[in-house]
Amino acid sequence: MDNELTARELAALMKKAAGVTVVADELELRLDAGFDEFGLDSLGLLGIVGELENNHAMVLPPDAERCRTPREFLDLVNSNVVAGA
Amino acid sequence: MTSQRARRAAVTGIGVVAPNGLSTETFWKSTQEGVSVLDRVTREGCEHLPLRIAGEVRGFDPSELVEERFLVQTDRFTHFAMAAADQALADARLGRADTDRDPFAVGVVTAAGSGGGEFGQRELQRLWGQGPRFVGPYQSIAWFYAASTGQVSIRGGFKGPCGVVASDEAGGLDALAHAARAVRRGTGVVVAGAAEAPLAPYSMVCQLGYDDLSTGDDPTHAYRPFTAAACGFVPAEGGAMIVVEDEGAAREREATVRAFIAGHGATFTGASLWERSREGLAQAIRVALDEARCAPEEVDVVFADAFGTPEADRAEALAIADALGAHGRRVPVTAPKTGIGRAYCGAPVLDVAAAVLAMEHGLVPPTPNVYDPCHDLDLVTGRARPAPLRTALVVSRGLMGSNAALVLRHGAHAL
Repeated sequence: MDNELTARELAALMKKAAGVTVVADELELRLDAGFDEFGLDSLGLLGIVGELENNHAMVLPPDAERCRTPREFLDLVNSNVVAGA
Repeated sequence: MTSQRARRAAVTGIGVVAPNGLSTETFWKSTQEGVSVLDRVTREGCEHLPLRIAGEVRGFDPSELVEERFLVQTDRFTHFAMAAADQALADARLGRADTDRDPFAVGVVTAAGSGGGEFGQRELQRLWGQGPRFVGPYQSIAWFYAASTGQVSIRGGFKGPCGVVASDEAGGLDALAHAARAVRRGTGVVVAGAAEAPLAPYSMVCQLGYDDLSTGDDPTHAYRPFTAAACGFVPAEGGAMIVVEDEGAAREREATVRAFIAGHGATFTGASLWERSREGLAQAIRVALDEARCAPEEVDVVFADAFGTPEADRAEALAIADALGAHGRRVPVTAPKTGIGRAYCGAPVLDVAAAVLAMEHGLVPPTPNVYDPCHDLDLVTGRARPAPLRTALVVSRGLMGSNAALVLRHGAHAL
């Protein structure tokens, strides 16, 4: 993950960290739907945060796992990538 | 309905994941035939430990039975519980549409003795190997005693009274009693029972400190309670879940009432003080019989705790005689767990499943690997014994001093 986190990568992380299967194209179309609608709870999002920090050398702000929608999370992660670059 | 008649707690569904069967049908077939499946421990990372013989659940593939979203959050002990709960609900013919109609009328109660040891070990290894940031967030829920109750209720959408009993091995019976009380107080359905997964490296090492653990390496001789050769107990994994339901509601929806949970008693006599368990177990039996309004002579079969050390076995044989009087020497006693091992809290729930099936089939299953009992009990050995069974007594004791007794009545039993 050199640049920005994409919806496609987020879908893969949802599967890996929380066992939630989401078709990437569908996630892209529903960026403003709540994570709960995909079956992802806050612990699952925390697992994704850990995955990004541990395996992609990112440092995310506290409370990143409180994001409610994929768009909110992607914006937070990507603004952070830019800020940290 | 203005009937003042007390609500009765009926058993309408049974689900089993056991070393001798991944379904209730297979479990019963193996149990009634007295098949012993005790064998060498083969779980990864356990081969070098001095605990060599156990009852492993083999061929269980959780990914076929449980959604991935729940698998990543849970330990093997919860996988067993979810699979057994599914079976029990299907057996009771309670589908999602039925339970969704009033989710607050369905609760879950489980007992647990060791929690999610395998999951916990993996995360703790990450903690010490890589650092705190590498511990997965589901560690916070997966290894707790409460995990199975929580996940079964979340997965099924059940919002009724839920609970977890952490009262030692005998807690398996206490969980069923807890469920029966909830049903008598007004809850429609409680999915209750216990399943354990103590056969992983960390969990096994925890057990090595138990003096009464059998360290034999011959599967046919490692666990032989009530004999002069008794040398300790053999652990097992697995367990059972039972659908406990208000009899009236069950009859209304034309479900089969397989049995009734009629009475329960529990006492505590201190860890490893087996001689004292005589008094505690006898008292638990008396309390259970009293609640069931059951005379000792009405007990048609006893499913024994069968701990497997001379002192504990003697205490149990004497407790049965103390509580049942002369009938205690005549009533058939069995311990099918000698063929599968003791699955801690899951063990007495498996005995309850076997007791219900025994009453339905009019058949007392035998006690595998035991041929020469040395106590004054009519222990059923060798092969199953046909007998009309209307009332079964299941007893259980834990390593830490809990004793419990549960009285089950046949499904056709009238008040």
